[in-house]
Amino acid sequence: MKDTPLSNCERQFLLKAVEEKKRVDGRQTYDYRNIKITFGTEYGCCIVDLGKTRILAQVSCELVPPKDSRPTEGILFFNLELSPMASPAFELGRQSELLVKLNRQLERCLRNSKCIDTESLCVISGEKVWQIRVDVHVLNHDGNLMDAASIAAIAALSHFRRPEVAIQGRDITVFTPEERDPIPLSIYHMPICVSFAFFQQGTYLLVDPCEREERVMDGLLVIAMNKHREICSIQSSGGIMLLKEQVLRCSKIASVKVSEITELINKALDNDKRARKEGGKFGFAESMPKERITALKKDEAPVEMTDVQDTANEIISRTEAQPDIVKVPSPVVPAPGTGQVGEGLLNTWGLEEEEDEEEEQHEKEEMSTGEVMVLSDSEEDDVVILNPDANKPKRLEGGSKKGVEAPKKQKTSH
Amino acid sequence: MAGVELLSDQGYRLDGRKASELRKVQARMGVFAQADGSAYIEQGNTKALAVVYGPHEVRGSRSRTMHDRAVINCQYSMATFSTAERKRRPHGDRKSSEMSLHLKQTFEAAVLTQLYPRSQIDIYVKILQSDGGNYSACVNAATLALVDAGIPMRDYVCACTAGFVEDTPLADLCHAEESGGGTTLALALLPRSRHIALVQMDARLHQDHLDMLMEAAAEACRGLSKVLDGVVRQHLQEVSVLTRD
Amino acid sequence: MASVQVSEAEKVYIMHGVRDDLRVDGRGCEDYRHMVIETDVVSNTDGSAKVSLGHSDILVGVKAEIGKPRALVPDEGYLEFFVDCSANATPEFEGRGGEELGIDLSNTLYKVFNNKHSIDLRSLCICPGEHCWVLYVDVLLLQCDGNLFDAISIAIKAALFNTRIPKVHISEDAEGGKEIELSDDPYDCVRLNVENVPCIVTLCKVGQRHVVDATLQEKACSVASLLLAVTHKGMVTCVRKMGGGSLDPESISEMTETGKRVGKALHAPLMDLLKKEEGLGKNRQKVGFLR
Repeated sequence: MKDTPLSNCERQFLLKAVEEKKRVDGRQTYDYRNIKITFGTEYGCCIVDLGKTRILAQVSCELVPPKDSRPTEGILFFNLELSPMASPAFELGRQSELLVKLNRQLERCLRNSKCIDTESLCVISGEKVWQIRVDVHVLNHDGNLMDAASIAAIAALSHFRRPEVAIQGRDITVFTPEERDPIPLSIYHMPICVSFAFFQQGTYLLVDPCEREERVMDGLLVIAMNKHREICSIQSSGGIMLLKEQVLRCSKIASVKVSEITELINKALDNDKRARKEGGKFGFAESMPKERITALKKDEAPVEMTDVQDTANEIISRTEAQPDIVKVPSPVVPAPGTGQVGEGLLNTWGLEEEEDEEEEQHEKEEMSTGEVMVLSDSEEDDVVILNPDANKPKRLEGGSKKGVEAPKKQKTSH
Repeated sequence: MAGVELLSDQGYRLDGRKASELRKVQARMGVFAQADGSAYIEQGNTKALAVVYGPHEVRGSRSRTMHDRAVINCQYSMATFSTAERKRRPHGDRKSSEMSLHLKQTFEAAVLTQLYPRSQIDIYVKILQSDGGNYSACVNAATLALVDAGIPMRDYVCACTAGFVEDTPLADLCHAEESGGGTTLALALLPRSRHIALVQMDARLHQDHLDMLMEAAAEACRGLSKVLDGVVRQHLQEVSVLTRD
Repeated sequence: MASVQVSEAEKVYIMHGVRDDLRVDGRGCEDYRHMVIETDVVSNTDGSAKVSLGHSDILVGVKAEIGKPRALVPDEGYLEFFVDCSANATPEFEGRGGEELGIDLSNTLYKVFNNKHSIDLRSLCICPGEHCWVLYVDVLLLQCDGNLFDAISIAIKAALFNTRIPKVHISEDAEGGKEIELSDDPYDCVRLNVENVPCIVTLCKVGQRHVVDATLQEKACSVASLLLAVTHKGMVTCVRKMGGGSLDPESISEMTETGKRVGKALHAPLMDLLKKEEGLGKNRQKVGFLR
C-alpha cells in the first residue's frame, strides 16, 4: 500500500512551526519523547517505546562453526524487519531503501564499534563459536526508528544471558538454565544512536523527529555515541549540505542525550534484575496498563450518620429553585408506528424574507418583556404524516409553535 | 588486529607516506565512447570507473518522475576480482545497496537537478581494484564523469578518507590501514563552499578528536579538488586541440 | 546485447555492400577491427587481460584458489566462468537486467572449454581426490559493440597466458593430514600452457554472404550466425548456431571453412604479441584505461 502523501498546507505548517522553534507536540528543539523500556520474561527480549514508536528486540544464540577468516571470534548477526503492522507503507518481503539504511546503520553502530567482546564467545577455536543473533522488529512507526532500534538492541543484548558450556577435550556440554545459571554477555560499552533532522538547508535542526517531521525534513544526521563520550559512528543521509561546525555542535548535544538514555537503560535493567530476584512478577504482561478488573476490593470508610437527614433537608431548602430552562417537548404520536419528539432546530436555510422577519421578531421581543408573540406561521420542516386526520394539523401547529417557541426562548435567554 | 604498526616512529606509514600525504592520483575522462560521460581514476591501487547516462526520460516506473527536478539513479558494484578474496556477487548485497544510496544522496546535493525536470540521470560506478577508499574513489570518478557528460553541478565533489592513529590524523587510507581496527572517516566535500555532502564514520573515536579528524579529511579533499581540476582542464585542452579545424 | 535501430534503407545498403565485399567501415568480409590487448591490468588477480575490439571493452580477471576436485574426475582441476554484464555498457543492464545475457555467455564458455584438449586440466591437480586448483575466470563487460564472443575468448586466452599460479609444496603433517604450503616467492610459479586454447569466431549471415566480426548494425541485418571455436591447428572444438533464422547446409560448410581459416590466422599473431609483451618485462608502462 502506498503511503498517504503529505498535503502542502501541512508541510508549510510544519516548516513554519520549525522556523518559530515550535514543535507540533509541544516539545523543545532538543527534547526527546518519553522513553519506556520493558523486558520480557525470557532473557534477551526487550520492547522500547519512544513516544508512540514501538520496537521489539530479541536476542538468541546458537553454536556454529566460525568464519574462516576469524576462527577465534564469535559471530554477531543483526536483522531488522519492518513489520507491516507498523505503517501502511511497509510491505512484507520488499527490500526498501529505508530497510537497507536501518540495517546497515544498526550493523555499523553495534558491530564496528566492538561493543561486545566477540573473543569471549569462542568455545573451541576453529570449530565452534557462539553466534549471537539480534532480531529487531518495528511494531509501530511514529518517527525516529533508528534511535529506538539501537536502544532496543543494546538493552536486549545487556539483558541477554547465554547458556554456560563446559569443554572436555573435543566434547562440549551445554548446560540448560536449570542446571547452571546462564551468563551475561561481556559488553564493553553501550552505543546509542541520536538522530538530528535538518530543515531549510541546514538552518534549523531538531532532535528525535516524529513521523510528520521526518516527512518534511531535508536530511538526517545520525550520531552513535556511548556515555564515555566516544563517537561510534556518524552517518549523514538525505541531500543536505552540512558545515563542520554543525556536526561538532550535534556531537555535543548527542553526548548529553546519550548519558541520559544510558542511565535510563541501566535503571530499567536494575529494576528487572531486582524483580526477578525478589520473585515478583516481571515481563510484558506486567508492564501493560491494567484495564481489566481482576479483583474487586471494597474500601470501607466510616461516615458519621447521626443527623444526616436534617443536614440533607437544610441543603435542599437552601438551594434555589432551578428555573425551567428547556422544556423538553413531550413525545407526540402522530400515527401508530411513528413517534415525534420536538421539531428539531430552527432551519437556517430559510429565504431572506424569513430571516428579516425573524430579525424583526427578535427586535420586537427585546422591546416587549416576557411577552412571547408568535408572528410567523412559517413552516420549517415538512412533516409527512401517514394517516392524516382532522385533529392532527391543530396539534401539529401547536407542536410547531412549541418548537418555534423553544428556540426563540433560547435566543432571548442568550 | 594488533601487530601491524600503522605509523612508525619516524612518522612513516605502511607504504612510506607521511601522515597527511595522499596517494598518487591518476585520472582520465572520456574513456568510453558510447556513454554520455565516463571517467577512470586510480588512487594508489584503488581503481574506479564511472559512467554517466543522461539526462534522459525516466526509465521503468513512470511514478518516479518528479515534476520539478531530475531523478538521480546510482548503482555501485564491484568487479568479482577486485578484492583479495573473490566476491561472489558483484552487486545486490547490503553493502553495495548502501553505497549506492550514499552516492545518490551525495550527488543529489551537488547536481543542479532543477534544470532537468521529469528526467533521469544514471550514474554507474564500478570498482576494478579495491585497496581502501572505495567510496571516495567512486565519488571522484563520478564527479569527473558528470563533468564529461556536461551536466551542471554546484561545485566539484571531492571525497577522501581519514583515520586516527596515536593522536595523529592520517589522510587517504589504504586497505590495510582501514581494516587495522582504527577509526575511518569518509567525507564528501564541496571545496569552495566548504559544505559537507556526506559524512560517515565507523569505529570508536573520542569526541575531542572529531574536530581534528574532520579538518584533516577536509584538507585532503581540497588537495584532491586541485588534482581533479587539473585533469579537467587538461582534458578540455586535448579535446579542443583535436576538434580544431 | 545493446541493440540499435536500423532502418530498411540502411539494411539494404549494408547488404549490398557485403555482397560486393565492402563493408560500411571499409573492411573486407573476413577482416577484424582494430584490436588492443593488454595484460596484467589488475594486480589483485593471478592473471588479467583487457581487450578492446572496436568499441567493445572486455576485462577478464583470473583467480586461482584451492578446492576439492569433482567426484567424476578426481585428478583434474577445473575452470569456473562468470560473466558480469555491467551497467556501464547500457542502462538496461542495471540491477538484474544483465543477468540473462551473462548466464547465456557463461554457458557458452563452459561448452567451449569443456574438453581435455583446450587446457591441460591435469596440471591443475595438486593431490588427486583431495586438492586441486580451481581457476575462477571472471569476465567484465564494459562496453558492447557487437561481437562479444570473439573479444571474450581472446581476452580469456590472454588472461590465462598471463596467469601465474604459485607453486605448491605438500608436506606430511604430524597426524597424517596433508599440509599445503604456497611458495611466497612471486616468481616461483607455474604457467599454463595456452597453445591449445581455442578462439571463438562468430560468423554472421548477411544476405547471401557471411561476415566476420560484425558490428551492431550488421548484426541487426542478419538473422542467423554461427559460432566456431577454433584452435591454432585449425581444429574446431565447438559449433553453435545462434539467432532466429535458418541456415542451409551449404552455407554452414562455407562458413565453417571461413571460420577455420580466420581462426587459424588469429592465433599466431596473438601469441607473438603476448610473448613480446611479456618480453618487455617489469619496465613495461602499464596503461590500462589511462590511454
